[in-house]
Amino acid sequence: MNDRPKNKTTRFLTTSVILVLILSVTAFSFLAHFLNRQSASTIRQVSRMYMSGLSDQIARHFETTIGLRLAQMEALAKDIQPERIHEDAAQREELIANARAREFSYLGFYRVDGEFEMLYGSPLTVTDPGPFMDSLLGGGKKVAVGTDEAGNNVILLGLPTAHKPTEEHPCAAIVAGLPASYISETLSLEENADHVYSFIIRKDGSFVIRTSDATRESYFDRVRSLYEKVDGEDPELFVQSLFQAMAEEKDYSAELVIYGEPRQMYCTKLVNSEWYLLTCMPYNALDRIVNGFTTRWTYTVFGICALVLAVLLLIFARYFQMTRQQMQELDSARKEAVRANRAKSEFLSNMSHDIRTPMNAIVGMTAIATANITNPQQVQNCLRKISLSGRHLLGLINDVLDMSKIESGKMTLSMDQVSLREVLEGIVSIVQPQVRAKHQQFDVSIHDISSENVCCDGVRLNQVLLNILGNAVKFTPEGGKITVAMYEEPSEKGEGFVRIHFCISDTGIGMAEEFRQHIFESFVREDNTRVHKTEGSGLGMAITKYILDAMGGLIEVDSELGKGTSFHVALDLEKAEIPEADMVLPPWNMLVVDDDRQLCESTVSALRSIGVQADWTLDAESALEMVEKRRSDPYQVILLDWKLPGMDGITAARELRCRYGTEIPILLISAYDWSDIEEEARAAGVTGFISKPLFKSTLFYGLKPFAEVMDNPEQAAVSTSLAGRRILLAEDNDLNWEIAEELLSAEGLELEWAENGKICLEKFQDSSEGYYDAILMDLRMPVMTGYEAAEAIRKLDRSDASVIPIIAMTADAFAEDVKKCLNAGMNAHVAKPIDVRDVCRQLLKYMKQS
Amino acid sequence: MTLQECYAALEGDYAGVTSRLPTERMVQKFVLKFLNDSSYDLLIRSMESGDYAEAFRAAHTIKGVCQNLDFTRLYRSSSRLSEALRNGLSPEAPALVEQVKADYRRTADAIRAYQASL
Repeated sequence: MNDRPKNKTTRFLTTSVILVLILSVTAFSFLAHFLNRQSASTIRQVSRMYMSGLSDQIARHFETTIGLRLAQMEALAKDIQPERIHEDAAQREELIANARAREFSYLGFYRVDGEFEMLYGSPLTVTDPGPFMDSLLGGGKKVAVGTDEAGNNVILLGLPTAHKPTEEHPCAAIVAGLPASYISETLSLEENADHVYSFIIRKDGSFVIRTSDATRESYFDRVRSLYEKVDGEDPELFVQSLFQAMAEEKDYSAELVIYGEPRQMYCTKLVNSEWYLLTCMPYNALDRIVNGFTTRWTYTVFGICALVLAVLLLIFARYFQMTRQQMQELDSARKEAVRANRAKSEFLSNMSHDIRTPMNAIVGMTAIATANITNPQQVQNCLRKISLSGRHLLGLINDVLDMSKIESGKMTLSMDQVSLREVLEGIVSIVQPQVRAKHQQFDVSIHDISSENVCCDGVRLNQVLLNILGNAVKFTPEGGKITVAMYEEPSEKGEGFVRIHFCISDTGIGMAEEFRQHIFESFVREDNTRVHKTEGSGLGMAITKYILDAMGGLIEVDSELGKGTSFHVALDLEKAEIPEADMVLPPWNMLVVDDDRQLCESTVSALRSIGVQADWTLDAESALEMVEKRRSDPYQVILLDWKLPGMDGITAARELRCRYGTEIPILLISAYDWSDIEEEARAAGVTGFISKPLFKSTLFYGLKPFAEVMDNPEQAAVSTSLAGRRILLAEDNDLNWEIAEELLSAEGLELEWAENGKICLEKFQDSSEGYYDAILMDLRMPVMTGYEAAEAIRKLDRSDASVIPIIAMTADAFAEDVKKCLNAGMNAHVAKPIDVRDVCRQLLKYMKQS
Repeated sequence: MTLQECYAALEGDYAGVTSRLPTERMVQKFVLKFLNDSSYDLLIRSMESGDYAEAFRAAHTIKGVCQNLDFTRLYRSSSRLSEALRNGLSPEAPALVEQVKADYRRTADAIRAYQASL
């Protein structure tokens, strides 16, 4: 189901990664290519500039060299008259010597007819005499080239003579010769370390100075035969355009390929001559450098590209991983939600079933009752069943409400003084009818409880014990046995605490190990046929566990399928400070008869602590003997267990009455509801009943009435101590006020009315200290609520502000409301409707304290 | 009409009230006074003007009075209404107001009938 989106995401990610890869590779390749192109054209530009500079330099060098030579010649020829030189041998010798000293290889006069009058050197012919002569006759200095007899090229420098040539003296110029190698060496025309070489050619392409590997007579021939391509064109075109440029005396530059190698060529005119300088440079050198740079640059670019890609990939991978993880988390959350939802749906359907059963009973019974409306017996029967089903329904719904309270975290504990005796007694009385109905054996044993009063949420503790005990009764078949044991241990929490243990065991159906492990989870119920006929919400144990957790208690369960279950609850409870000194009975002698030795011993010790001397025995027969023995100093009270081995309690009581009359009170101890045996017991002479478990207080309260009968009744009427007390009652509703006033005045109280919290506060403020004995406070009032009023009163600066009892009266009776009252500084809380006894009890309690 | 019949008509707990209040006379006195109690008018007014905090208080007061007088039926509907108004207006409140109105009318009618028979 979720594969498709996952695949989609994967595909999207993969595609994006590939696209990004392609994009970056393309971009970087383009960049590299473009820059390479740029660098190639840059090389061309740079080399062109370089070449033009170089050519310029060579040309200028040529100019200076030729200029220098011409100057030397001018110096030589200064005072020489050519016509006289033939005659003046001395002058002629001097001239020759001077010329030789200046390394001229040849010296002579050039005549108008084109003949040389040689002074020294080998005879020459001028290669292209026309322009040379024209120029010389025009009075300009000129350089030309000639050939000697050996065929070597000679550079000729012509200097026109001072006088115009005449018929008689046809000498036009002095000509000096220099070897061609001199020029090429001086100007470094030969190929050097930079692979730059130069030629000097004439306009027609023939070489003046031939260097390097050139062998042909004409540069144009060389171009035609050797050059593969020039500027991507046929060499012939190049020749033409070069020729054109030379004719126009312009500089010319071109790129050409020779021996498969590109070269840059630059052509420039040389001064004082009809010559052109051609300089060539292969790209190699520049190329190598630039290429090296370009290569490094390209590598760097691709390196960076790879790095960027790697980082991108890494980010993609990480992102992908994170997405995966997130999806997995989502998936597991979804599964969890689905599971919880399913558990709730299952629970809901089970619950609906459970609710339907009693609902059906109610509807059915109602129908039957309607049909038999005239038959009271039948109607009564139906009503009983309806009320049973109703109560069952209520139990289910209460569980669900509790659970939802727990799940939304709203359950609070309301701590109060609780008597363990009352708790246990209450529970026993609740389960007793069920136990009896199922003919189960039921035992309650209490071992040495020192602090019977503890601080605890009594309602919740009740709920816990009832849940466990209810289950025990429910899951134990008829005739089974259920035992409840309570004992005390010192607590780890310190002096003020006790650890109370409750052990509830049964011989019921038990439970499977795998269920035992989940027993405290919500919405779980063992799902098999043997449990199905037993109803319940399946929330009881979860609620139990939660309450115990909230109380800081422990619960353990031990169970074996088919054998029974045993729950063990341990709670650390704070001891409540109740003065036990009040619990004192007259110094009677008593006899306790019970078949449980432990019970006898703990009862005797409990009795001793409240001032009663007691003996005990395990059966009725020995009891009769003991009573007989103490005839002179008889027992004042006898406690008899109902179920005894041999003679039972009722028979024993009858026997005692027969023998000793009706004076001694005989009390029957019983864990069971005694309503069934009451009549028989009373008839047998039993004075009263006392219920197990036997706490100190059970004994005290059970026996106290006999002390009052025997001694002077010292109990003062409650109302007498309340008479004349002045109470401030805050209540906004007249009717409620009147009812309260009517009821409380009857108890002798004097009431004053405050219509709201503010008036209450003001009345209290305006009264003298101690004027009011207590305040009864409604909570929901206009202007100022009861909470606010109580808080304000407690903050007042007067001696009775903090001690005057403030008792809340409200229609809200939730634990949360009680807590809120106490937080606002009130002492206690009584629920509406007003119950005079309740109100008086609270008033008495707190007025006494203050 | 006896007070007990009146209680039956308004679906109250006669046994409850007589066990708490000492005399039937006193019960009668308070029951008759119930007609003059202004909380109901306050409730209706507050609901109309949209003052739900005041409406809550009025419902709460009615609840308290009904508890004291053991008017079980009206107690139940007013109690539910006060819960529905405890944290402001909730969706179920309007229906409950109608319920309270009906129950109040029933209660008041029963008391008036009883008063007329005196």
